[in-house]
Amino acid sequence: MARIELRATSKTWDDVVAVEPTDLVIGDGEFVAILGPSGCGKSTTLFMLAGLYAPSGGDILFDGAAVNEVEARDRNVGIVFQSYALYPHMTVRDNILFPLRFKDVPREEALKRANAAADLVQVREYMERKPSQLSGGQQQRVALARALVKEPQLLLLDEPLSNLDASLRLTMRSEIRNLQRKLGVTTVLVTHDQIEATTMADRIICMSRGRIEQVGTAEDLYHRPDSLFVASFIGSPPINLLQANAAGGQLAVGDGRLPLDGRADGKVTLGVRPESVVLGEGSLQGRIDDLEPHGRETIYHLTTPLGGVRALEAGAVARHKLGDTLPFRFADSLVFSTDSGRRIDGARAIAA
Amino acid sequence: MDASPTTLAAPAQREYWDRLAAKGRSRRRATTAFLYAVLVLGSLPIVVPYLWLFTVSVSGRTGATTVVLWRTLAILLPALLAWSILRVTIADAKRLMRLELALGVVTLIAIAVITGPYLHAQNWRFLWNKNIADDLKGASGVGGTYPSVWSAFANSLILAVVQMMLVVTVATLAGYYLSRFDFRGRAGYLRGLLILHAFPAMTLIIPIFLLMHWIGLLDTLTGVILVIVALELPFAIFVMKGFFDAVPWDIEMSALTDGATRRQAFFLVVLPQVKVGLIAVGVFAFLRGWEEYVFVRTLLFEKANWTMSLYLYWMYEDVMGTDYALVSAIGVFYVLPSVILYTACQKYLTQMTVGGIKG
Repeated sequence: MARIELRATSKTWDDVVAVEPTDLVIGDGEFVAILGPSGCGKSTTLFMLAGLYAPSGGDILFDGAAVNEVEARDRNVGIVFQSYALYPHMTVRDNILFPLRFKDVPREEALKRANAAADLVQVREYMERKPSQLSGGQQQRVALARALVKEPQLLLLDEPLSNLDASLRLTMRSEIRNLQRKLGVTTVLVTHDQIEATTMADRIICMSRGRIEQVGTAEDLYHRPDSLFVASFIGSPPINLLQANAAGGQLAVGDGRLPLDGRADGKVTLGVRPESVVLGEGSLQGRIDDLEPHGRETIYHLTTPLGGVRALEAGAVARHKLGDTLPFRFADSLVFSTDSGRRIDGARAIAA
Repeated sequence: MDASPTTLAAPAQREYWDRLAAKGRSRRRATTAFLYAVLVLGSLPIVVPYLWLFTVSVSGRTGATTVVLWRTLAILLPALLAWSILRVTIADAKRLMRLELALGVVTLIAIAVITGPYLHAQNWRFLWNKNIADDLKGASGVGGTYPSVWSAFANSLILAVVQMMLVVTVATLAGYYLSRFDFRGRAGYLRGLLILHAFPAMTLIIPIFLLMHWIGLLDTLTGVILVIVALELPFAIFVMKGFFDAVPWDIEMSALTDGATRRQAFFLVVLPQVKVGLIAVGVFAFLRGWEEYVFVRTLLFEKANWTMSLYLYWMYEDVMGTDYALVSAIGVFYVLPSVILYTACQKYLTQMTVGGIKG
């Protein structure tokens, strides 16, 4: 197990900046997720940790020692690729045994460890099969066993669940989580799926365009996003973003006006989570243009003087009809500076 | 014969469907019959020359006697027709196989009976006669003795095998490098490979002769091998690059993090994925070396250096007249290794153009 540290680590390809100088500390035994859209530099960061890419600048430290020049093969890192990257010509057993070939592990001991790793992810019965004879979920487990058999000090997961179907994803999510807790191995998960990140990781690192936008727990990112990017990337259905002008303790939003709590001036963006829009009460008025029943909840699309607003209401039966005009209020809201994209701490639109 | 009471279709409707079913059946048969006719007619011009070669080699006496060929064809063609009719008319797979087997046995017996008296192994005497020239009419035109056919066979084998190993090794390494590494002038290099492949090698024959003379490799197998390797490489490299392109980077990176060096990753993980490509490139290189004629004819003089193609050529060019029966037998002997190799590896060769590694 190891404590991982990035110090001003960056990666550029010719003129293209993949990862800007980044500082980050991952604690011993911690499970962190790097979350971001494709092309944000999250996989590049992962490959730098694995030693497959050399950083263009800065240092990578394992337990306080710089490992920049340590080859991938010597870093003792286990990695699970999105495609699983199993060796097609080898049986499951040989796949799991492969990492031990390069260590001085006696054959007996190696077999014992391979069996233990296979048991851990429940693929013991498929040991004689080739990867092509396994389902996606089984291949995924074999890839995990192969990554874990060498008892890595760091486990890297590159979009490990994105090739699985929905129900399998759900079970693998909790299985990986439990496995990590049991083994206590420092783990970095790379994903573009916020649910994966929020459900599995202790901490989430949200990245965009090669930069870390925010580091925090799922709750931090959801309720206290540092930036517009994080606010809009996290949450489904997405947050309502309304362009507004702040002046003299008032917010001019569309054709409406809302009292402003806290200090903000000039162009701002008002962010309201759909579940913070309370329907049926309050001083604002809106008309329902569209509604999507989702079973457990209903999403309403409202036309209001402030602009279009999405509202989410729990309950299996929709309480309002298409075309209804009804009052609503905001139970909570966030205010961002439109220019910098940063959240203005303490600012809040009051719309009772 | 009683109509079941549960039958829903009224008699009129049943007739209607029966009529349509019969129509469908006859149309399927017509299509199949047409296909067989086209395939049989199309393959005749390919099969008959080989049949000629083979029958003459086992029956000819100095000249090319074609009695056996005609008699064989006289049995074979009706048998083919009968077989096609069987395939078209009989639907039951088990019964079809039994009848096909019977037809095959009858055909073989018939051919054996009517051609048997003409068959003899005299034309194959070159295999065990050390000096075939003595057995030819009078003396030979190429200054007395011929070398043993086995010496020519060994030379051809050395030429083909060494050339194949060089081509496969260099093409594999170069193809991998071109597929995986970016370097200055990579695009130009790839274009150059294509141009080299398109370049007609015959135009190089005189410069190559001079070059071989200057570096002292004229009249050596080594020289011919190097020339053919050089000419074969561009295409082989291109094919191997295609196979390496199809191997995902992931498994290589995975091997590196699993503790393998780059070389170990290449040999243990990447190379097994391009097995089909190795076999395909190897077989084609072998065949190319085995059939080589122009460069051995130009660059080799000593009888001890003759390859099979030269042996065949000089046997044919004998000034005392050509023994077509003997030449046919040598031809069959010459073509046999190619046929065997091709048949054994055709599964891999057909995958070459696809360049896939799935499965």
